Amino acid sequence: MKNPQKFRYIFLALISVFLLSTNFQNLHAQNAKKNKVRLKANYIKIMDSLSYIELTAVSKIKKQNTKVSNIELNIYNEFDDDKIKIGNVITNMKGESKFIIKNLNTIKPDSTSTYNILISFKGNDSFKKSNKRISFKDANIEANLIKKDSTNYITATLINASTNSPITDESLDIQVQRLFRPLRIGEEFNNTNENGTIIVPIEKGIPGVNGILTFEVVLNDSDDYGTVKTLIEAPIGVPIVDESTFNQRTLWSPRNKTPLFLLIFANLIILGIWGIIVYLILNLLKISKSKT
Amino acid sequence: MGENKKNSRRKFLDNGLKLGLITAIGGIGLSKLASKLNAKTNSGATGKMELMTTDGELIQVDASEVMEVEHASNHDKKYNVREGMPNRKFVMVIDLAKCKNALKCQNACNKHHYITGDNAWMKVYKMQENNDSAPYWMPTTCMHCDKPACVTVCPVDATFKRKDGLVLIDNERCIGCRFCMAACPYSTRVFNWGEPGQEITLNMDMTDHTPSPEHGGMPSLKGTVDKCDFCPHQVQNNELPHCVTACPNGVFYFGDKYEDTVTNGDESVRLSQLLEDKAGYRLMESLGTEPSVYYLPPTDRLVDFEDGLEFYKEFESVEKPEKS
Amino acid sequence: MKNFKTLVKDLAPKKFGKLDIIWTCFLILIIFIGIAAYIDQLIKGQEVTNMRDYALWGIYISNFVFFVATSFVGSVTVAILRLTNNEWRTPLVRIAEIISVAAIVMAGITIMIDMARPDRLLNLFIHARLQSPITWDVFIIPTYMVISLLLLYFPLIPDFAILKKYFKKKDPKLSKWYGKLSLNWTGSVAQKAIQTKSIRIIAIMIIPIGLLLQTIDAWLFSTTYRIGWDSTNFAPYFISGALVAGIGALISVIYVVRKYKKLEDYITDFHFDKLGKLLVLACLTYLYFNVNEYLIPAFTSKKGESIHLDTLFTGAYAPLFWSVTIVGLILPIIVLLFKKGRKPLPMFIVGLVVVVGSWWKRFVIVTPTLLHPFLPIQGVPESWHHYFPSLHEWLITVATLAMALLIITLLVRYLPVIPIQRTADELGLMENDKIKNTES
Repeated sequence: MKNPQKFRYIFLALISVFLLSTNFQNLHAQNAKKNKVRLKANYIKIMDSLSYIELTAVSKIKKQNTKVSNIELNIYNEFDDDKIKIGNVITNMKGESKFIIKNLNTIKPDSTSTYNILISFKGNDSFKKSNKRISFKDANIEANLIKKDSTNYITATLINASTNSPITDESLDIQVQRLFRPLRIGEEFNNTNENGTIIVPIEKGIPGVNGILTFEVVLNDSDDYGTVKTLIEAPIGVPIVDESTFNQRTLWSPRNKTPLFLLIFANLIILGIWGIIVYLILNLLKISKSKT
Repeated sequence: MGENKKNSRRKFLDNGLKLGLITAIGGIGLSKLASKLNAKTNSGATGKMELMTTDGELIQVDASEVMEVEHASNHDKKYNVREGMPNRKFVMVIDLAKCKNALKCQNACNKHHYITGDNAWMKVYKMQENNDSAPYWMPTTCMHCDKPACVTVCPVDATFKRKDGLVLIDNERCIGCRFCMAACPYSTRVFNWGEPGQEITLNMDMTDHTPSPEHGGMPSLKGTVDKCDFCPHQVQNNELPHCVTACPNGVFYFGDKYEDTVTNGDESVRLSQLLEDKAGYRLMESLGTEPSVYYLPPTDRLVDFEDGLEFYKEFESVEKPEKS
Repeated sequence: MKNFKTLVKDLAPKKFGKLDIIWTCFLILIIFIGIAAYIDQLIKGQEVTNMRDYALWGIYISNFVFFVATSFVGSVTVAILRLTNNEWRTPLVRIAEIISVAAIVMAGITIMIDMARPDRLLNLFIHARLQSPITWDVFIIPTYMVISLLLLYFPLIPDFAILKKYFKKKDPKLSKWYGKLSLNWTGSVAQKAIQTKSIRIIAIMIIPIGLLLQTIDAWLFSTTYRIGWDSTNFAPYFISGALVAGIGALISVIYVVRKYKKLEDYITDFHFDKLGKLLVLACLTYLYFNVNEYLIPAFTSKKGESIHLDTLFTGAYAPLFWSVTIVGLILPIIVLLFKKGRKPLPMFIVGLVVVVGSWWKRFVIVTPTLLHPFLPIQGVPESWHHYFPSLHEWLITVATLAMALLIITLLVRYLPVIPIQRTADELGLMENDKIKNTES
């Protein structure tokens, strides 16, 4: 009598151990399967417009770099060993996201006027948690278009916004906005002088829609200041002339723009011949109807 | 009586244990299920998303209200598909000095246009002008001619020339007469002789996608013609055509002739300068087709021609997917 | 000396004999097999053919060109011979017109077989672009078809009236049909005037339209850049080719019809002699254009041209090219230059050889050019470097030829193959030997 009961208890005990161990295994497996997320962050400031942090999340899944979409990233302002949450974003289908800083004054800088930002990902079932820190100082670029001796120049001054002192010996890129990538104007490196200024001549004959060109003066991806960009619109380009034959009557136009010669001749021939054919068919009717 | 009580107690314990076991198993199962479900809903909903409106304004929208669509059907088109993007004239420059037949361009094009036939749209030819000249690799795309012979001979206006220079195909109009293929001197057009079968062989998912002349091969239709389209579906999103980005050697430059700028993704140069410095020319200029693709002659070559021979397949240009 | 009654008896359509029925069933069988193959092509697509991206046009197109060429015979026999006052053409014109109608109808059908999306046929009319040579083709083929039918029909009207009377007792139902088609023809002065004027108009009109048809057919090829097609010579080359093909077809069909219907009294050795001379003239003209097309480019031997000529003279297509040129063109000229060669039986053989040669000549025109494009053929399967039609293509093509023969057979069955009224007029035979005004 006791034996079957004992067997039952042993049986139950074994089953529960089995269940627990498989659960453990599962937990273990979950942890082992999680991938690492690498966060990339760039601070970008567009003068007289917005500043934002460009975020990208990538992960190496099966040896391939895959974008991590739809994860929530929390943005903190690190200040005095403390972190204040200033917002959060969710990465899009391409794993990218933009966190817009509406007003830099809402973020506290440290004693060196450096803004310290922490971007944090809490992790989820598929990915481990991840952090990224960036620091930047606030810089301004003031740029102008001037004309000297019939040549146009762009002058630009790079200034540290917090101390209002010029930033020397940093390279600025001057480029004109084009369709896919901007076109570089001037040398590869244009270093600011002791006044934080550069002056670059603009080559002649750059085409633009209605003659308007949009120039960009960019401090590209600097260690201290991130990326700072200012735009100048100037009507010094060569106006674009539409050379396409789209509105002309050509052999390769759609049917509503057939060459006149073809249109007239062909229709004359068609109408002429079919006119006679109709006349002949009418003759058949005439024969049929005529009586002696 | 005692016997009975003992029995019933045993029975009670028995049943209780059984019930307990079932509950335990069921509970574990349910919890696993719940976590899975939870995981799904978690990935969708919380927080706000930054979105840009069509006016360039940045707004914050509740993430739960945003539906991600894999292939957007008709973008907010500001232009007529048959007329083209205003103020643009697309050109391509191919630097033959840099091409070593890596065929990454061909693979990218095949992949992104779900090509299932035996003839790729992007072909890299093994060329040699004459026995004394050195051989070289020559990638060709559709030339998007300014005087397109193919457009002239199409009886139903299925292929058309746009203001922005592109020559595109309306696969729903095409009657499959193949006159355009006979007329093209660059042998650039391919024909879908049978069912392309893209959904089957390449797992192509066409839901939410409207077929358009601006995205060739999406889908390919039986009995119609296809060719390189200069990827307007990429250009709309400010991205370069697939062949340009896929090339590891920077062979392809693409851009707007009116802007006089072309880029290969890394370097942007003025088109007129490039053509002058490197003596750019066009294929079969004497035929008068006015192609939109310029070639830079293979001088001062960065790579040896022979290096490309290991990838050369005389009888194949589309890799077939492995049968699972 | 024949009288009217015997004339009608000789020329009236006769019932189908056993041989006719076997022949017709045979043709119908071939046609059904072809239709089955075509349905398979519709379902699977044109991958059932051996056409691929380089050999993008095959025997469907060369067959189409053949039919268009053969349909020229109507213009030649009826119109050109008429305008040059060759009276001997009378017994031949009906058959010539029948062949024309059959050929142009089959041309229209054959070109639709080559379309990979026949479900979009209406696009050719709704969205037609006048700049495209195919649109010109879409216009000219139905036009020529209608004109040919009218040219067949107008002279038939009096014959239908005669046949209505002839069959009144023998086959009343048939007689009724002939009656309907005769449009109340009584031979009155008014009717004759309308008919004569109409025939004259058609005869004049069909010449430029026929020439236009052959020209547009040639322009389908010579409006491209391809070596071997891009030739200023192509339109007259095709016109003279059509002369050859059409007359060859005419001779072949006439021989068979004459023998079978025992029309030796009406179509005599004299007619064959004349036809033979006409064919020689056509072949010599065609030979002249062949020399311009194939010999002269060898003089400068531009690279593209010399590749094309090598293919034809010594390369993959050499056996075919020399066969169609020597056996299909030069030999007939030689044979027909002799009077003995212009007797009916040798003429029949020559006619058949010329027709078969014409069909294969068009294959030689279409395919080799496509297989040497400007850029080398690379990156495609090895089989794409060659072209030989597949079983589907052969079955469908043979079915179209069978259908053409079926149309001819049916028309020959129900129409008088020699114009009765015209022959009577020429022989001065009156319908009633007695001078009466009442109808019999």
